[in-house]
Amino acid sequence: MTVAVAARAPAGIRHWLARYGWTVGVWLLLFLLIGWYATLIPSFGSFTIASIAKNSLPTVFLAIAQAVAVIAGGIDLGAGAMMVLANSVSARFMEGQAAGTTAVIAVGILAGAAILNGLVGWIIVRSRVPDIIVTLATLFVFSGVALMVLPAPGGGTSGGFRWIFTGSTSGIGTNFWPSLVALAVPTVLVALWLRRTSRGLSLYAVGSDPDAAYLSGVKTARAKITAYAVAGAFAALAGLAITAITATGDPRFTNASNGTLNSVAAVVLGGIALTGGVGSVVGAVAAGVILFVLYPILTAMSIDPNTAQVIRGVLIVAVMMAAGLLELRRRRTE
Amino acid sequence: MSAELRGVDAGLGTGLGAKPPARRAWKRFLSDRPLVVLGAVLVVLVLATAAIQPRYLSLPGLRNTLLLAAPLGIIAAGQTILMLTRGIDLSVAMTATAAAYVAGNQSPNGAGIAIVLALVVGCVTGAVNGVGVGVFRVNPLIMTLAMAGILLGLFTQWAQTVLQGSTSVAPFIKTIGAGAFLDRRIPWNLLIWGAVAFVVIWGLRRTGLGRMLYGVGDNPVAVRLAGVRSWQVLLAAYTISGLFAALGGILLAGQSGAVDLRLAQNLLLPSVAAAVIGGTSIFGGVGTYSGTILGALILSVLNAMLTFLNAGQAVKQVVYGMIVLALAWLYAAATRAE
Repeated sequence: MTVAVAARAPAGIRHWLARYGWTVGVWLLLFLLIGWYATLIPSFGSFTIASIAKNSLPTVFLAIAQAVAVIAGGIDLGAGAMMVLANSVSARFMEGQAAGTTAVIAVGILAGAAILNGLVGWIIVRSRVPDIIVTLATLFVFSGVALMVLPAPGGGTSGGFRWIFTGSTSGIGTNFWPSLVALAVPTVLVALWLRRTSRGLSLYAVGSDPDAAYLSGVKTARAKITAYAVAGAFAALAGLAITAITATGDPRFTNASNGTLNSVAAVVLGGIALTGGVGSVVGAVAAGVILFVLYPILTAMSIDPNTAQVIRGVLIVAVMMAAGLLELRRRRTE
Repeated sequence: MSAELRGVDAGLGTGLGAKPPARRAWKRFLSDRPLVVLGAVLVVLVLATAAIQPRYLSLPGLRNTLLLAAPLGIIAAGQTILMLTRGIDLSVAMTATAAAYVAGNQSPNGAGIAIVLALVVGCVTGAVNGVGVGVFRVNPLIMTLAMAGILLGLFTQWAQTVLQGSTSVAPFIKTIGAGAFLDRRIPWNLLIWGAVAFVVIWGLRRTGLGRMLYGVGDNPVAVRLAGVRSWQVLLAAYTISGLFAALGGILLAGQSGAVDLRLAQNLLLPSVAAAVIGGTSIFGGVGTYSGTILGALILSVLNAMLTFLNAGQAVKQVVYGMIVLALAWLYAAATRAE
């Protein structure tokens, strides 16, 4: 994508493009898609913006969760299950409660998820079982616990809680600012934390080369556990967002596995290498929104949902193949 | 990743000589003979299940477990082969379902045609995965997850259009899926699993492709420098995995007698778990199919035990996850480099 330009550009720009090119490209693609979507539907107004902003929240939060784990050299296949667990627990206990109580419950769930997934990180560090195996196990365990808490779809929440994520106490409306704030604030916070604090940078260090990080005095175990704790909190945030949007909890296993699938796809499309240590949360966020926006776009083109799923899968593979070919060419020319 | 972390900690950690000799001997035994330990775990699980339900320790009880273990074991064969190459196939469940669906749809044309077409579906799916991973270097996780999504979309649509019609399978497929011979003692699908096991174990040990599967996973660079075209090895591996998934799907369809689009969805994670419990490393180059067979048997006995305990789906999932984690931990502790 940027290879031809980079060859002739001065070193500074080339470096900048190599580092941020993919992220910028993903954001451009997102705006292109939204622009295209605007021409497809009869009226593009605040209702549409609100709808896109709030409905992409779960995918985006889960993408951030996965991004943090992957940057630190791991992968959290249990992220989707953590989302479902938070969704089920919140819907079960928030039903019929006042706004203040639901907020307290939400904070409790976030803290609990961070501790629980931090424990998962500890198990990974301590047992030295590969991340993918441990989190595969947590995918089972967490979704099982979700089913115990809430055996069938149901539950509820307060209007105030729904407003925080959707901008309306009924979940449907034209006020898009709360959703955008809910989208932007956690993204900016975690991006700054990763790039500007020593604890955040230690995640990149562990992800790119654990031996070198260890020998340079980075507390590798602590970095990994922190990464999983943050990932757990963001996965739970995704679950809370679902509770706010739908006002129900849905403990079914397919939600968990689909959530994990989408989050891994978003992370890779967002330019984060699954080998760890490379990429930024900002790219994953755009990729998360793209993955969501494809559905309304394909619906607007009156393509049925099953074909839409096929097209989405083919697009993911096509992008990854293109990236693979670019990588091969780059390696040959160097 | 954590493989390197392991190296650092082993080098800088406290000396292992400080540990009591008995524990070291135990660890040595476990790392030298993992299959013996897995076999012991299996026997303990069978006895524990028999303690809960005495009737389990009879021919029909054990036969049922083997009957249910066979499709899982066959699907896990493909998973094992791919994990040897540092790959993974998260589309096996959907491939199995797709193959079973085609088998059900084509059953009115005769069992032969139905089975062949179902196997072709598996091979094509696997080959596409293989091209993506081998030629275009797409991460296996992404490639196969996307493939599962594509297949689900395609077949949900086709179920209402081109594949409309029969959803029950031919009598012959029912026989090989659920029937038994020798006075109803030995299930037919066990015979098929045995054949698959022989081919896989022999193939991995004795054929060039088998050795190359280990090589590609153990040290891709060295293998490439030695002149191996790894994309061809990967293409073959993914096609084989697709083929085994299809075979597992056909047997599963024979067991249930009818097909639907959720037929094999519960086998995806167990197929990975069976290989992991059996000692196949997700980092490639290490593992055997014998271990995977024991892994599949352990998971099936566990399933029977939980069913006897009247455990619901939720409890099953939790216990299942815990067991996978515990066995993987035990295995990692035992085989840690000294």
